[in-house]
Amino acid sequence: MARTPSELLQGTVDILILRTLAWESMHGYAISRWLTDRTDGVLAVDGAALYQALHRLEHRKFVAASWGLSENNRKAKFYRLTTTGRTQLRAESAVWQNYADAVAKVLRPT
Amino acid sequence: MAPKAFRFFQFPWRTRAAISRDVDAELEFHLDARIAALVAGGMSADDAKRQARDEFGDLEYTRKYCRDLDERSEAKVRLADRLGAWRQDVQYAWRTLRRGPGFAAVSLLTLALAIGANTAIFSVASAVLLKPLPYRDPDALVRLYERPVKSPTDRWGLSAPNLADYRARQRTLTGLAAFYSRLATWRSGTSDPQIVLAMRATANLFDILGVPAWRGRTFSAGDDGPSAGAKAILSHQFWERALGADTTIVGRSITLYNQAYEVIGIMPRGFTVDGHEAIWIPLDLSDDLSRPAVTRKQRFYNLIGRLRAGTSFEAASTDLIGISRNLGTEYPEANGDYVAAPVRMPDAVAANLKQPVLLLLGAAILILLIACANLANVTLSRSMSRRTEMAVRAALGAGRGRLARQLLTESVLLSLVGGGMGVLLAVGATRALLALNPDMLPGIFHVGVDGRVLLFSAVASIGTGLLFGLGPAVLAARADLHGALKDRGRGGIGSRAGERIRHGLVVAQVGLAVMLLIGAGLLVRSFREVSNVRQGFDPDRVLTAQLRADGVRYDSATAVNEFYDGVLGEISRSPGVVAAGAVMYLPAQGKEYSTLFIEGSSMDPTHLPGIAYNMVRGDYFKALKIPIVAGRTYDERDPPQGPNVSMINEAAARQFFPKGDAVGHRIRIGPNPKADWTTIVGVVGDMRDAANWVAPEPTIYDNARQQTWWGSLSVVVRTTGDPLAAVPVLRRAVTAGDPSLAIRDVGTLDEKIGLSLSTRRFALGLATSFAVLALVLAAVGIYGVLAYAVTSRTREFGVRLALGAPARSVLLLVLRQGLGWSLVGLVLGVAGALAGGRLLAGMLYGVGPIDTVTYLAVTVGLLLVVTVACLVPATRATSVDPLTSTRAE
Repeated sequence: MARTPSELLQGTVDILILRTLAWESMHGYAISRWLTDRTDGVLAVDGAALYQALHRLEHRKFVAASWGLSENNRKAKFYRLTTTGRTQLRAESAVWQNYADAVAKVLRPT
Repeated sequence: MAPKAFRFFQFPWRTRAAISRDVDAELEFHLDARIAALVAGGMSADDAKRQARDEFGDLEYTRKYCRDLDERSEAKVRLADRLGAWRQDVQYAWRTLRRGPGFAAVSLLTLALAIGANTAIFSVASAVLLKPLPYRDPDALVRLYERPVKSPTDRWGLSAPNLADYRARQRTLTGLAAFYSRLATWRSGTSDPQIVLAMRATANLFDILGVPAWRGRTFSAGDDGPSAGAKAILSHQFWERALGADTTIVGRSITLYNQAYEVIGIMPRGFTVDGHEAIWIPLDLSDDLSRPAVTRKQRFYNLIGRLRAGTSFEAASTDLIGISRNLGTEYPEANGDYVAAPVRMPDAVAANLKQPVLLLLGAAILILLIACANLANVTLSRSMSRRTEMAVRAALGAGRGRLARQLLTESVLLSLVGGGMGVLLAVGATRALLALNPDMLPGIFHVGVDGRVLLFSAVASIGTGLLFGLGPAVLAARADLHGALKDRGRGGIGSRAGERIRHGLVVAQVGLAVMLLIGAGLLVRSFREVSNVRQGFDPDRVLTAQLRADGVRYDSATAVNEFYDGVLGEISRSPGVVAAGAVMYLPAQGKEYSTLFIEGSSMDPTHLPGIAYNMVRGDYFKALKIPIVAGRTYDERDPPQGPNVSMINEAAARQFFPKGDAVGHRIRIGPNPKADWTTIVGVVGDMRDAANWVAPEPTIYDNARQQTWWGSLSVVVRTTGDPLAAVPVLRRAVTAGDPSLAIRDVGTLDEKIGLSLSTRRFALGLATSFAVLALVLAAVGIYGVLAYAVTSRTREFGVRLALGAPARSVLLLVLRQGLGWSLVGLVLGVAGALAGGRLLAGMLYGVGPIDTVTYLAVTVGLLLVVTVACLVPATRATSVDPLTSTRAE
């Protein structure tokens, strides 16, 4: 896993988004709310990083977008996970789990 | 959390502006939602706005980032969509073609023939005009000729003394190689003797061409010297054909001219000098130069030189022409009227072929155009009957562009498949042609289907598809779909534009076919002229054989004369024989050279002019159809022991008796001042007896009955039918004269001189088959259009017949229609031929470009074919059953 910190960061945002979309399709704002709520604000992803990541994922066909109506009846762009996106999520989850375990092992007082 | 997102109909292709709008809307939604949430938490609107912006991060960069990425995604989608649509078109086209196998078969056949013809010709053109010659750096090679100052296009060889001077004086070439070809008899010891081409060449020829031997070695310096042994180098072709590809031959010897030659090498496959398979033997120039009979006028050596590094062809030209001018000053009598004519080697090789090849390529392209017209017609007819289908597809949302593209895809697909078949056809056809006439092209050219030819065929196929698909596609795009749906595609009436196009196509087709036919007709007629008149003799239906009456039995003139007179008399009297004679050297066999002194002239006896020498007896001139232009031929007035008489040709008469009074003059042949005088009794027409592009040279045809010192003569027999049928007659006559005498090299004269005519014959054969192909295509086209017209008017004919119209009137109606268009085409074609005939002018001999016979023959022939093509659908029209036809739709 020879990744530079910034790459790591970008990859982090990507997998968080994929995970967020695992169950239902959402628009960008909903994704950012869900991430903030779920991590109690620890992993707040700012808008710029979020939307860049969304469009990047769309370009790579991990997510697909379509226009729909938001809860207050405004036109919003909804993202959903594609089949390749789901595969990618599974693969990356495993990698991240290993990584997190390794970091935890190092940090655990012996 | 989000409501069920339904997908708005999204046009697959977004513009840049749309992408930009979408990104803005998305980001704005995010900011607004955040502001709303903050305000709901108790923040003031302004503070909420500011905080939302701050939380977001770099808004402008994100905007730009998203836009760029979306545009790239969009481009990818667009490409995929387009490929998908094409694939759909192709699949659909394929299904359509398979649904109409008859249409597909006819179209494919037409395409295969047309593209096959083009591919074959292009492969020849590519070999002749585009591929480099099989020598090292062929562009640096120079052929050196001399030409009469007054005729810039003539190309003559050089005489030995001149050639030696060029070799010594030139400063711009690495060397000059000389060579000339003679036919030689090769005896293998196991099979019959064969005539082969023996090329005598100076030792430096292979170095100058820059080609090493494939086996063994080429000549090295000194191999052409006076004391060097007899050596031979074989061409790959000869080695394969005559020696069964036996590599052990190198180092052994072969027998030529009854002499053993040591084989020192075999050249690589494809190597040739001046075409044709050959054996190269050393040319000893010093020996040629030492012969007293050799003069500066005997121009028959071919020369090839290579430019020195860094020397331009122009510089070499200046150098060589300068030398020739000096030679003209030094030897005004022999060289005053001649100047050097250097030609780049590639130009020299292709010179005789360039025009016929380009012409054939033009003819092939005309064929392709006719085929296009044909296919456009068929496609058009089909698209008319497919109007309902098109209308339904349009109603289901296919745009007009898409429909047009569908039709184009079909025609391009068709033409690609047809083109593929055409390429296969061309490969087979060129192979077969080359196998049947190995001499049609100089062996130097390797005709084959390579990448360049394939590319040409692919482009021709796609171009053809676009060309014949375009008209129908445009019509389909313009079609009145509503009307089409309403009258359920009955067509016929609503398709005025289609009808006009169809008629136009018939006219174009007939016109093009007429032009091709007239062109081919002119070529056929001039070929007859070339092979007869232009050559000065007619090699057709002439049997030849060599007899050798020498040895003890023939030591007296009487014995020789008795033998030959007996044999020739016997043959002449046989049935099927027109005339029989004998000659020292047959055309293309070479000749002797001597000198000439005219009685009472002021010629310097030490510098007598040269003249070619040949000897004839019997009805030689009659047998070869060489005209007597003045005086008479030999007969009983010239007894063997009587005063000597001679005949000369027109070239000699022109040169030595410019006043036209040759007959009656006395001349002396050869340098011996004590030789007997001989009286000129007749002048015969010139003949091209070397090759048909070598100008006739002044020649004496001496009387063999009075000059019996040369015992070996070739008998020539003109027959009414197959010349080979006269072989038994010949054998019988010879056996009757002397049963111990051998007859050698029996064969037709055509065969023996065929080399020089075969290229032209090949071009003629191709042009003729093209014209026939054009005629067939045009006939099929006319038939197709009329058949379609008859089908779409079935009901009308049925009504006419039901109302009592006589069958004849319906027949005439259809005939008139078909013939009417064809006549327009005919007139246009004749006009086109009259205009384009000038292109042919350089290839025509003996007939003008406006040859009434050809024009009449083509007109009548075409009308006949067209009438037959019209009659079939016309007869069908009369047999329409009124009842079924009115119910049919």
